Amino acid sequence: MNHVFLNSGCIAAAVISVSLLTAIPVEAQAPDPIDGYTVPRTADGQPDFEGFWTNATRTPLQRPEGVTNEFYTAEEVAATEAREAALETAPTVPGTVADVHYDYSQFGLTYSQSTLATSLRTSLIFDPPDGRIPPMTAAGQRIVAQREAEALLKGGRFASAETNELDDRCIAMGGSGPPMMDAGYNSNYQIVQNRDFIMILTEMIHDVRIIPLDGREQADDKIRQWMGTSRAHWEGDTLVVETANFNGKKPFPFQPDAEVRPTYYGSTENMRVTERFSRVDDETIVYQFTIDDKTMWTRSWSAELPMKKTIGPLFEHACHEGNYGLTNTLVGARLEEQEAAEATAAQKTN
Amino acid sequence: MQTRITLSITGIAFALWAVPVLSHHAFSAEFDINSPLSLEGTLARWEMINPHSWFHIDVEGPDGEVVRWRVEGGTPNTLIRNGVTINSVPIGTMLIIEGYQAKDRTNKAVGRNFVLSDGSRLFLGGSANQVAK
Repeated sequence: MNHVFLNSGCIAAAVISVSLLTAIPVEAQAPDPIDGYTVPRTADGQPDFEGFWTNATRTPLQRPEGVTNEFYTAEEVAATEAREAALETAPTVPGTVADVHYDYSQFGLTYSQSTLATSLRTSLIFDPPDGRIPPMTAAGQRIVAQREAEALLKGGRFASAETNELDDRCIAMGGSGPPMMDAGYNSNYQIVQNRDFIMILTEMIHDVRIIPLDGREQADDKIRQWMGTSRAHWEGDTLVVETANFNGKKPFPFQPDAEVRPTYYGSTENMRVTERFSRVDDETIVYQFTIDDKTMWTRSWSAELPMKKTIGPLFEHACHEGNYGLTNTLVGARLEEQEAAEATAAQKTN
Repeated sequence: MQTRITLSITGIAFALWAVPVLSHHAFSAEFDINSPLSLEGTLARWEMINPHSWFHIDVEGPDGEVVRWRVEGGTPNTLIRNGVTINSVPIGTMLIIEGYQAKDRTNKAVGRNFVLSDGSRLFLGGSANQVAK
């Protein structure tokens, strides 16, 4: 498998390791460090992952329709990033939904204002080889249909606080995972480790993963959590984290452009996530994950995104404390309903 | 050959643009697309809190009465990382804010653009890629 990343700014491709695409499962493949790189060690002799990292990326999870190559060239990515940087600051059209928002660039929120974990990949998913999430099982399709029906029955996204999305409610966001994905902004992490534990602090919504490294068994499957329960071990210089016991209420991946929200097309409580962290140079951790949920998908699937060193510290994301938006959106929805009811009543009167 | 390159570039544009900056919530549900406004006033308070910062500005009406407005902005995390603090925009700064009023018609709005009294854009965010230090 190829691991091709771009050093931010210089757009120089670094081909880290190359092997043939075969049927070997991703779990058996650990990326090699760049030639001559010696993985730093902690005082306990473990590979050192401590520091501040970001996984902000423009690379989509799934390979877009019409794109067949696994990788772009460095020149193609550079040209496109320049074009997109210009688009990010382009004015929106007054009176459109896109315009009802603060200007991202005024708050340092565009991708071109952040450290990017750039990759030449055309999709984060590399297995299956087509870069797409595999087909759902029949049971998976029924589950998704049921979720959508239940969301409609409850009145849709703005019917109540409970029907709003998890991020609206400051309960969970995508960055902390597992798997850990670009959250759109604030996609920053701090890793602290000792001999027996590794801690991953996620800036977006301030989740903390404290993962045992001491060889203990997986937690009882009666314990169900938003982020599952994780156990870690070393395979050479690669940190392997296995997570199970999800509560099934935060399906992965999320379908962000669904018309009926909250709507998800992702995993069940049976999902198991295997994450692999491999440090390949001073600036980069290769982060891979494999999703195994036989209830939802016909086969397992795997993705890879780099984590790039960034500046610290992380800042508290006390989401509940300032979440006026939830109240405001619910009030807006009730007023719209009231206005619609009054308009209907007026029509009947006339 | 030229055709092949053109198609390839098009594919990239779609591929890389597929990951937008995500909002914490739906702004068009909170604010009224049909109620654009422009507020001119002085900064009275700035809440640098998550998930969104809020600017409180005092706006003087035609009758001389001063009314307090609250205007929603972006997350403070990226600002703090770029060296912006609560003191970077002093209380009393004159601001012109273009945005949209809340659907409940109270004195709340989302700030589309923040402009200083000299016409320059209030630019809080970083201007270049951050590098590890």
